[in-house]
Amino acid sequence: MQTPDEIIHQPVRLKVMAALNTLDAGQWLEFVALRSIVEATDGNLGAHLTTLEAADYVLVKKDFAGRKPRTQVCLSTQGRTAFSRYVTTLQAILAPPNPDISGFDDNQ
Amino acid sequence: MTTTAEEAAQALHEIALIRHRAAGFQDYQAESGQLLLWGLAYVVGFALTACFRDQLIPIWAGVVSLTTAIGTWLASRTGVDGGRVAWRYLAVIGTILLFCLALNIIFWPLTPEQGAMLAPMLLAALYILRGIQLRPRYLVIGLLLGGLCLGGYILLLPVFWPWMTLACGGTLIVSGLWLRAV
Repeated sequence: MQTPDEIIHQPVRLKVMAALNTLDAGQWLEFVALRSIVEATDGNLGAHLTTLEAADYVLVKKDFAGRKPRTQVCLSTQGRTAFSRYVTTLQAILAPPNPDISGFDDNQ
Repeated sequence: MTTTAEEAAQALHEIALIRHRAAGFQDYQAESGQLLLWGLAYVVGFALTACFRDQLIPIWAGVVSLTTAIGTWLASRTGVDGGRVAWRYLAVIGTILLFCLALNIIFWPLTPEQGAMLAPMLLAALYILRGIQLRPRYLVIGLLLGGLCLGGYILLLPVFWPWMTLACGGTLIVSGLWLRAV
């Protein structure tokens, strides 16, 4: 049986990865926007972003918009690949390959 | 640790939900810029019309041309395929203008007040339809815009131009800020 990526397979991190995956490659999303999409608290989201950043799945950039500090998040190439693999794994769990069909082919 | 089919289905459902929410968020963000821009344009257009009624055509030709140019630039900055978005944006603006022109031809002669109601009412109807089909905030914007403009035309005709500055321009600006605050 296939096992989904344990780093992504957690409710908040799954939402973060799904939200960032909707953006074009190289497009950044502000922390506050991400927070409202995934409906998490600042601390909770920050902690999960640290985990995803440590796995090289997301990139985090801190700068200033005028005088206000701003944090932006982006899905890395590795993260995009990992998320795609994760979705494929989930689909495979839901629809495992039918052994009867391969057995039928073998008998021909 | 293995994952059951139920857990997998739940995770895929969660991904679909977040995808829908993120799309809505991006849609509202892109729309808010256009609402603020056109709201400001309507404020300027209606305020100038209130002051110089005999200059109605040059005022609106200038306001619409300038706003379309800025709007196209804004639209081209969204997403990767900015060029295609800009052309689609120009096509939408062109369609609205042609619709207003067609109604002017069909119902000619129109009073300036009647003519000024066409674009806001079409806009209100488009937002209501979009709200019913896609996202609830557009429904609120459409109802508010249509209601205020029509109410002003029926009840406040002596102060029509200043009223439209607030009812049309003001509503679009407030709506733009509201979408930005998602």
